[in-house]
Amino acid sequence: MKKGFLVLESGDVFEGLTLPQQSQFPDKAGEVVFNTSHSGYEEIATDPSYFSQIIVMTAPMQGNYGVDSKVWESEKIWIQGFVCVQMQNTKRENTWANRLVEHQVPVLTEVDTRRLVITLRSQGTPWGALVAAESATEAISKANVLIAKQKNQDADWVHLCSRLKIEDRKGRNPQGPRVAVLDFGAKENIIREVVQRASDVRIFPSRTDIKVIEDWKPDSIVLSNGPGDPAMVQVAPDTIKKLLGRIPVFGICMGHQVLSLALGAKTYKMKFGHRGANHPIKDSLLNEIYMSSQNHGYAVEGDSLPGDVEVTHKNLNDQTVAGFYSKKLNCLGIQYHPESHPGPHEATKLFDFFIKNMHQPAVKANKGIKINEL
Amino acid sequence: MPKMTNLKRILIIGSGPIQIGQACEFDYSGTQACKALMNEGYEVILVNSNPATIMTDPEIATRTYIEPLKFDYLKKIIEIEKPDAVIPTLGGQTALNLALELDRKGVLKDNKVLMLGATPSVIEAAEDREKFRAILDELKASYPKSHMVKSFEQGMKAAEDLGYPLILRPNYTLGGAGGGIAYTPEEYNKMLVQALHESPTTEVLVEESILGWKEFELEVMRDEIGTFVVVCSIENFDPCGVHTGDSITVAPQQTLTDQQYQEMRDEACKIINRVGVQTGGANIQFAVHPTTGERVVIEMNPRVSRSSALASKATGFPIAKIAALLAVGYHLDELKNDITKVTPTCYEPALDYVVTKIPRFAFEKFLGSKDLLTTQMKSVGEVMSIGRTFQESLMKALAAMEMNIEGVPDIHFSLEKISYPNSQRIWHIFQAFRHGLSIGQIEDLTKIHPWFLEQVHAIVEFETQIKNSDLSESILRQAKRRGFTDARIGKLKNKKASAIKALRDEWKVKPSFLQVDTCAAEFLSSTPYYYSTYWSASDLQKPEKRMIAVIGSGPNRIGQGIEFDYSCVRGVKALQNLGYKVAMINSNPETVSTDYDTSDFLFFEPLTEECVVEIFEQINPLGFIAQLGGQTPINLAHGLVKNGYKLLGSSLESLDMAEDRKQFSKICRDLNLKIPESAVVGSIDEALQHEAYVGYPMICRPSYVIGGRRMEVIENRQELESYFQRHYDFISPQNPCQMDQFLSGALEVDVDLVRAPNWVVMGGIVEHIEAAGVHSGDSMGVVPPQRLKQDTLHKIEKMSQELAHKMNVLGHLNLQLAIKDDEIFVLEANPRSSRSVPFLAKATSIPLIDLGIAAQMQIDLPASQLAKYRWADLKQICVKGVVFPFKKFSESDSILGPEMKSTGETMGRAATYPEALVKAFVSSSLHLPSHGEVFLSLRDKDKIPLLPLFKNLQKLGFTFTGTRGTSDYLNQNGVECLALNKVHEGRPNCVDRIRSGQVNFVINTTSGRQSLEASFDIRRACTDYSIPCLTESDAAEAFVMALEKSKTGRIEVSPIT
Repeated sequence: MKKGFLVLESGDVFEGLTLPQQSQFPDKAGEVVFNTSHSGYEEIATDPSYFSQIIVMTAPMQGNYGVDSKVWESEKIWIQGFVCVQMQNTKRENTWANRLVEHQVPVLTEVDTRRLVITLRSQGTPWGALVAAESATEAISKANVLIAKQKNQDADWVHLCSRLKIEDRKGRNPQGPRVAVLDFGAKENIIREVVQRASDVRIFPSRTDIKVIEDWKPDSIVLSNGPGDPAMVQVAPDTIKKLLGRIPVFGICMGHQVLSLALGAKTYKMKFGHRGANHPIKDSLLNEIYMSSQNHGYAVEGDSLPGDVEVTHKNLNDQTVAGFYSKKLNCLGIQYHPESHPGPHEATKLFDFFIKNMHQPAVKANKGIKINEL
Repeated sequence: MPKMTNLKRILIIGSGPIQIGQACEFDYSGTQACKALMNEGYEVILVNSNPATIMTDPEIATRTYIEPLKFDYLKKIIEIEKPDAVIPTLGGQTALNLALELDRKGVLKDNKVLMLGATPSVIEAAEDREKFRAILDELKASYPKSHMVKSFEQGMKAAEDLGYPLILRPNYTLGGAGGGIAYTPEEYNKMLVQALHESPTTEVLVEESILGWKEFELEVMRDEIGTFVVVCSIENFDPCGVHTGDSITVAPQQTLTDQQYQEMRDEACKIINRVGVQTGGANIQFAVHPTTGERVVIEMNPRVSRSSALASKATGFPIAKIAALLAVGYHLDELKNDITKVTPTCYEPALDYVVTKIPRFAFEKFLGSKDLLTTQMKSVGEVMSIGRTFQESLMKALAAMEMNIEGVPDIHFSLEKISYPNSQRIWHIFQAFRHGLSIGQIEDLTKIHPWFLEQVHAIVEFETQIKNSDLSESILRQAKRRGFTDARIGKLKNKKASAIKALRDEWKVKPSFLQVDTCAAEFLSSTPYYYSTYWSASDLQKPEKRMIAVIGSGPNRIGQGIEFDYSCVRGVKALQNLGYKVAMINSNPETVSTDYDTSDFLFFEPLTEECVVEIFEQINPLGFIAQLGGQTPINLAHGLVKNGYKLLGSSLESLDMAEDRKQFSKICRDLNLKIPESAVVGSIDEALQHEAYVGYPMICRPSYVIGGRRMEVIENRQELESYFQRHYDFISPQNPCQMDQFLSGALEVDVDLVRAPNWVVMGGIVEHIEAAGVHSGDSMGVVPPQRLKQDTLHKIEKMSQELAHKMNVLGHLNLQLAIKDDEIFVLEANPRSSRSVPFLAKATSIPLIDLGIAAQMQIDLPASQLAKYRWADLKQICVKGVVFPFKKFSESDSILGPEMKSTGETMGRAATYPEALVKAFVSSSLHLPSHGEVFLSLRDKDKIPLLPLFKNLQKLGFTFTGTRGTSDYLNQNGVECLALNKVHEGRPNCVDRIRSGQVNFVINTTSGRQSLEASFDIRRACTDYSIPCLTESDAAEAFVMALEKSKTGRIEVSPIT
């Protein structure tokens, strides 16, 4: 088996083995992040929020239970690389290893992921590249080129991951509202959760003109998750600003961050972010404490939120803002993933809160009312 | 909400003697909880009948009662101590059942005692299978189809409906006792009767088989406001059909998709909410169909359990401590994670390693019982190991079993050992792959998930690679990453283990030590809890201060259990009190010693020379303590000293003097001490030459056979000849047979003392109740001695000290002596802490382990202090009771002999000997009948001496039946006794009478092999029906003394000091 390297921007080099079936190693660069979930590798890799990122799994055994395209969170694998200690790689059909290879995702195994995580934890999220090479020196020079190139892409990653065309979904609840989804790189399960509760769902690209959205006459809007720096997202903050106070707004993850920007708040890059399925949340809205699924590298500065917006959700590990709510503006921002996949399901109730508590009863009874009239 | 301030005194109920299904994991949980509550400023009242535990050490609680865990005694204690609350969820099934009884009979209400952690309705909802199933129905959770059966007839109907195989689960029993799998109607009928009998409510759940499904367990916690976390998911390597305590298990779960896992998690949350567990820990077991993914709930325990201990050690989440704190009102988010110190306790640990648990069994001790694993737990202990990958973890666990230094040696392969679950199966799977069987074939036979089999297969494939290639640095590193021991690699390459070690040193193929940090390195953690791996660079820096290492006792087994964990934990404390930093090394997850806050550094590692040396190279200890962990560290001492590490206390030479029979005989002769005559012979001819010299009766045992197997008492020449005939295969001039004089009828004693260069403290003399011939671990004992003369005791003290001086013991010395006609014989010397040390320490209040540490560190103690330690000045008589697992091993004989079979012990403390006896018997769950029928079958020599006893019993109102010889003798001597048929004399016979429930207790003494075999059915019937069966005349006398006392009904309790 050939050697492979994960080279960090800082110059740290981690050696590992490439898969035998990946002899044509697709060298790639991205931000290097780690995830502490025990399961859910397939959901993670197909989550658009991992766009342009090399994912390091702290759970050592990967690929154990094979693959199942039903759990995909989008139509493709987004990650720039998959790093772990050991990958199930026997003659079974449909292995996760093969799936990654088919999708040109570089896989590096037998990596000292613990050292790597400690490095990431202390350095903050660095850029890095996965390369096949004969030596570390060769790897570094190859990596630097790749990293520079990758960094050069459009800074609005949301735009790069968002759908290009409007997409309609039939809702499962005829009594439910018409819900617009602004796609920042939405996970399929957000859409699924909304479809369960809505009568009609229309998914709009992130830079959709507000008129196009208004023309569809939504009862409310969901802002989806997505990758990258919220401050780089174009068009959407203004769109949201204009909708705020007129229809209910529910932002998840990137959606939550962009919502905060629309409210005039600030976001910042965290040292190494939150990625895992075991983050404790204190939810003052539902009055519960529960575990949540998380994946974010940026967060909202609580103090920068306007006075009529209350921080209602806290991450108990580090007291960062995990959500906010404004009754007056009828908006809810949730930093983590109530749609789970992977991760625990407790926060699913927030979708119910959105549908039941944030929509006027009149809206449900009197569908199709013009936004302008509200 | 912060803690409850309206509480001051809290009662904690322990789990009693160690038994299969309820072992020292509850010492871990109780100790942790007591410490946590004491820290919070509560007064803790602790009750436990097990003196070998750490929790019953006087410092652990405010007041400690070593009293029977029975209603009457608890009632009395509650009346005296007036606790505000009781936490019943920390002492296993025993504590839970007892708390229910106290509630039901109004004791809690009358004394205004709150039940914390779980209320009676919660306990019933989880434990009563019918109620639990109603809850599952309500939640739309599935469970295997089943019928609750309350009679034999209902049982027959259930079988018709469900079809075979069937699983029987008696209600309210521990470790699945009385249950099992029935494949045929014959098996079913037999098991049904037994199961109905076992259930205290005469209810048995008869369940359709889910054999072959994947089995999982979730360890969960919930606080008062409903915050719910899964501390750990556990997956069984062995599919359904094997009790989870007997299964190899892996954490975290490995083969469920996230979706499947989250659905299971949701269901667990719903169940715990609906059952109503307000606070604390619980576990829920699930089965998942291997292909359809269909999921069913197997059972739930609303309390801390065996798997809680495992989950705590596997994740670093202190379940018992947190459960106790939640019970007094804290919420999960209000408590800090001990390990990271910054994050709260409401989190789910993320593991960046794999944990494997392997149970350890003792089938070889119970001849006649089949090595077959079912839904009734049979293992006596377990090891846990941590590795970065499953392969490393599994292989480390196999090495930690202390069965073979290679870990996965070549064995004689048997397909049958794969087809049926048994204690040896994992090694046979390895061997099957070596023989080229495919993963598919093994999967078909075992239903083990192919992912696990792939992993094992890959290990075996790598063996071939090691064999066929030159041993390069790369191959060696890869082998170590797969968990191969040096010994196994050596075997494959025809080299010594030491040669492999030398290569590793040269090539720097060394293990690293990683922290168990609960968070996969996401947060900084400073807790010094480590495991070794060849997969990563080390977290552990060379510690600044040099420390002392204490080596633990490894997996519990019969003969080496919790008493040695007590010694270790107490020893660590004593060393810390002397200002030393201490590293603890152990492989047993059930223990207090493997709690991360017991020592300064915890290494959860196999207790093999290889692993311990690697740790020592890392920490460079000042020295190591080998006297506290039983035989395991003693066996390691030579190798460690050879590697340059300092053995503290008695030197290797002293150890050898005790171990080597020849040296020991010489010492005894030099000191004019008697030892039993003995000879070593290679054939029957030689045996006959030494026959007269050794004399009858004698004990014969083949050398080189482990664990005292094939050891027999031989009464005459005919038996001697028969013995050599039957064991022909095991005796030869190369493998000779040891013949020892057997001191028939002698009194045996255990002596424990501590010697330093300048002082000696006698720990005490425990007089055995049974006569010589019964293993000291199996015989009841009493301190102070009741039958030995004062003069003899003085002689024993004097000679014990002489022997200690002569052997130059530094630290502990345990002696086993036999006293016959006032003459003292030395049977055995163990230069280490012993099984009797915790018993004596609790009985006499002499801090024996602390003194042992002082002696090993060669510290001088002032005479004034030494003068305080007078073992014989006891205010209370203390009797050791014994608990046996015969019930779990059908077809095993309850007769006692030179081979140890008991799993646990109890202590009866009282002002008088008979009262102490009552407590010891009651604590060991022997029912003391107040009237009824006694069945007697006696050997001739016991008839005359026991006659007064029977007259006494007659006066007490008991009636007698007996075998013909015995009843004739009784009738002739004025005791009315009805003669019954022996088994071979036709029916109805005595066994029918016992099995029909007419007999209240049995005295059955035998001599010689034939009468032993003839009376087997009598003893087995007693075992099956929980009828006391005394097989020794001395024990019978003690039992009757207790019966007489218990009729007075007087109950007194007192705390230890």
